[in-house]
Amino acid sequence: MLSIDTGERATKAIDPNRLTKAQTAFEIENLGLHYGDKMALSEISMKIPKHQITAFIGPSGCGKSTLLRCLNRMNDLIDDCHITGTIRLDGDDIHDRRIDVAALRRNVGMVFQRPNPFPKSIYENVVYGLRLHGIRDRRRLDEAAEQALKAAALWDEVKDRLGDNAFGLSGGQQQRLVIARAIAIEPQVLLLDEPTSALDPISTLTIEELITELKSRYTVVIVTHNMQQAARVSDHTAFMYLGKLIEYRDTNTLFTTPRQKQTEDYITGRYG
Amino acid sequence: MRKWFTSGAPWIWMTSGAVSLALIAVLGLLLLIASRGLVYFWPSTLYEWQLQESQGETSVVIGERYERERVPRERLEQAGMTVPGEAPFVERFLVKTGNRERVSLDFRWIWQDQVIAERTPEALAVVERVRNGNFYGYPEALVVDGERLQGGQMATRLPSVIEEANRLRDEARELQSGAIGRINYQLEQLRLQKRKLALKGQDSPDNLAPLEAQASALRAEYQVLEQSLFALRQQAASDWLEVREMTGETVRLPMDQVLAVAFPNRMNLLEKLWHWMGKVAIFVTAEPREANTEGGVFPAIFGTVFMVMLMAVIVTPFGVLAAVYLHEYAANNALTRFIRIAVINLAGVPSIVYGVFGLGFFVYVLGGSLDSLFYPEALPSPTFGTPGVLWASLTLAILTLPVVIVSTEEGLARIPSTVRHGSLALGATQAETLWRIVLPMASPAIMTGLILAVARAAGEVAPLMLVGVVKLAPQLPVDGNFPYVHLERKFMHLGFHIYDVGFQSPNVEAARPLVYATSFLLVTVIVSLNLTAIAVRNHLREKFRSIDHG
Amino acid sequence: MDNFNISKHISGAFNAELEDLRNRVMAMGGLVEQQLADALEVMQHGDETLAEKVVNRDRKVNTLEVGIDEECTRIIAKRQPAASDLRLVLAISKAVTDLERIGDAAERIARTAAMQGDKRHRAMVMTVDAMGRLTQRMLHDVLDAFARMDVEAAMQIHQQDVRIDDAYEGVVRQLMTFMMEDPRSIPHVLDVLWAARSLERIGDRCQNICEYVIYYVKGTDVRHLDFSKVEDLLK
Repeated sequence: MLSIDTGERATKAIDPNRLTKAQTAFEIENLGLHYGDKMALSEISMKIPKHQITAFIGPSGCGKSTLLRCLNRMNDLIDDCHITGTIRLDGDDIHDRRIDVAALRRNVGMVFQRPNPFPKSIYENVVYGLRLHGIRDRRRLDEAAEQALKAAALWDEVKDRLGDNAFGLSGGQQQRLVIARAIAIEPQVLLLDEPTSALDPISTLTIEELITELKSRYTVVIVTHNMQQAARVSDHTAFMYLGKLIEYRDTNTLFTTPRQKQTEDYITGRYG
Repeated sequence: MRKWFTSGAPWIWMTSGAVSLALIAVLGLLLLIASRGLVYFWPSTLYEWQLQESQGETSVVIGERYERERVPRERLEQAGMTVPGEAPFVERFLVKTGNRERVSLDFRWIWQDQVIAERTPEALAVVERVRNGNFYGYPEALVVDGERLQGGQMATRLPSVIEEANRLRDEARELQSGAIGRINYQLEQLRLQKRKLALKGQDSPDNLAPLEAQASALRAEYQVLEQSLFALRQQAASDWLEVREMTGETVRLPMDQVLAVAFPNRMNLLEKLWHWMGKVAIFVTAEPREANTEGGVFPAIFGTVFMVMLMAVIVTPFGVLAAVYLHEYAANNALTRFIRIAVINLAGVPSIVYGVFGLGFFVYVLGGSLDSLFYPEALPSPTFGTPGVLWASLTLAILTLPVVIVSTEEGLARIPSTVRHGSLALGATQAETLWRIVLPMASPAIMTGLILAVARAAGEVAPLMLVGVVKLAPQLPVDGNFPYVHLERKFMHLGFHIYDVGFQSPNVEAARPLVYATSFLLVTVIVSLNLTAIAVRNHLREKFRSIDHG
Repeated sequence: MDNFNISKHISGAFNAELEDLRNRVMAMGGLVEQQLADALEVMQHGDETLAEKVVNRDRKVNTLEVGIDEECTRIIAKRQPAASDLRLVLAISKAVTDLERIGDAAERIARTAAMQGDKRHRAMVMTVDAMGRLTQRMLHDVLDAFARMDVEAAMQIHQQDVRIDDAYEGVVRQLMTFMMEDPRSIPHVLDVLWAARSLERIGDRCQNICEYVIYYVKGTDVRHLDFSKVEDLLK
């Protein structure tokens, strides 16, 4: 049945800058980050909506990956990295001393640029996080592995060779395995750091399709070099430049009528 | 020409040349020690020479020809020798005549010009003996239980008689090192217990009585065993072999001294090969005799392997832990870099210095304090306060520690950070990541470090001489007496064995082939240790091959 | 303000393609403008050769439309333009459709005018003349605004359409008097009415093109909106 909503204009999206508390997963306030004396991020304030896909785009070195890594405190691993401002996940400051970093990272999963399976079997890769939790019950592990692999659209391809080494998989399969590994521990948020930059176009599309499906269960934040990818998969897009958040709005608007000239120049491929 | 030069071909030739040189050097070395060492066991032909002596009379020499050389007369005359003949070059050869107790030297040089006749009679035999080395001569008669056998009878009975003699000897040895050794050990333990009680002031007759009872029971047992041992020896000595030697005298060789009788001139190639294999097997499995110049080297093989393994067990966890701290936990600052450089430089310290350190610290300080803490009853005779296999292993562990640390660190550095981050991002702590991901992936590198450490440790001799190696160890570090592994004991080592046989034995000439044989064995042992480790490493590499696939 | 900053892409080929597209649109605009002028000329003087020329030239207009549309498709497929580039390509793709329709209208006017060779009907034709001039000027201004992507001008031109509509109503009234005076003239009157109707449609199409200019520059779709709302949106 065709229904034509005559009263509304065509595009109607949530404005990510005006989210209610219930809609917000991350609330970033005046975030700044320095590596030693070098400024990497400054004055970033934004809200990342729940159960939506938010993309960070921008030229290399603009700080988008750094910002992503702030969200599960992976930057803690870097020496002389200094963070100011606050990031709240569901209202709790993630830099609070009472927060256990390991628990935070279990809650905020991450997938990296290159597929990084562990040198173990496919099965062991998927249940790695569960084993860290201390789960040893074989049946529970099996179930969780199957579910995660199904959710990552990999089950049918690997169900007969779960014991094989994960390196025997293709790049795209490895990346989906890594995603399965991340969602096996049922995080709330999934951070994807250029997840398809090392993959061929078809694998890329498979992963993109997967990301879109994951939206219903997880809050997804994706960093990508590929503007078309951001345009294809994300609900909201943040454009960053030189460590600053230049423009953050719903993807449809950002890719047709950006407000800022820098955004315009970047997405249309001009030198700014 | 210029074109050829710029084509890069000379570069290839140069590099391949370097490889060929290295290959030739290695193969040459192996070939030399293998041939010289293995020929030692080959049953060589026995000769009988008739010689013209300087006074005009003739004499007979029986023996094996060891080597032959042409020397300028001048040199010999300068050395103060009287050389027969006129020619500017003289030919001479070295003969092993054996029969050590009957002649002053069992090796002598013979001038080629002296030789009147050379024969290889089939009846000539070489008799291997427990003491005094080989005996060459013509077996005349075998006396068994007072019955005198000659000719064909002797030949048919001889093998069974030798076998019987060997059996008796084995039995006696078994008795001595097994049962009697055990009793001695237990008696010593009892003595120490008594002493312990005395030190504690609890040496009341009530406490001592059960110990005394045990001791007297053991002593009674000892008497019985000793009786049977003497009986065995007597039985073995009751038979003898009569052999006519080169001077024409007939010598009685008691059968308890005879190990084997061989007629090399009668053997065909196959028999010689069989004989050769038997002797190689004896060399590898038997204990040494005659100040290490005869018999086998089994204790030395065992000591080498045991010491190296013990060292590996000590150095691996130690080195890996140190490397993990340096690479994973320590802040990357000047202090860490300084420590790293210090560790690397430690590898350059001469090994004898480690030996001195081992003696000064491990043996005297550590061992001394252990003795006064745990073994006061044995004092003043030291238990751990003297060189032993534990201290040797520890010393070598310190010597090889830098190797393990450096290669482990390299292995850790090669693990892509993405894999670590992957684990951390799943909520693993750094320790969990290390234990579950990083160390397994670094295990090939750890094995490489271990291979290098083993290769270095197995070849070290100098420091060992200070901290535990001896010329002849009465017991192996592992035996059937509780607690089975005796880390305080001294041990034998193939490397030291080579040194000892080559330079310290009474007859250097006789020992030279043995030096080659032992060297070849040492190389074989090291190579097989390395091959095992390499096989393990390759297996691990295959398992964790992510690094290559990135 | 340089609203037409298509020459700053990192990809030089993309720059050239957009420049080429723009030039072709301008060429097509010029051609359509010429067609309309010639059609009006035919209406005034009944020059049949000129009318034939107009009819023939319309084919060229059609070819240009197809070519430009193809180029637009190619750019979208190959360059995946975003934001202003995307809006430019879309605006051009739509504008050429309107231009082609204007061309069609001009052709029809010329055809109709050529059949009106009769002097008696000259007076009738002359009623449309003023309206024709108005339309011609509007088309000229629109193309000018399109060439410069001038939003202000586009807004003004957008409002001028009211005048054409008024003129059309005037023409209709006059033609009705003609019909009442002389029912035999009705067939001719209908022809002229057709021409007037075409001119009025040209005005609407010019208005569309103005909307594309606004869409391209401001990114706001102002079609089918009240004028007051448009002004609010553009603020």
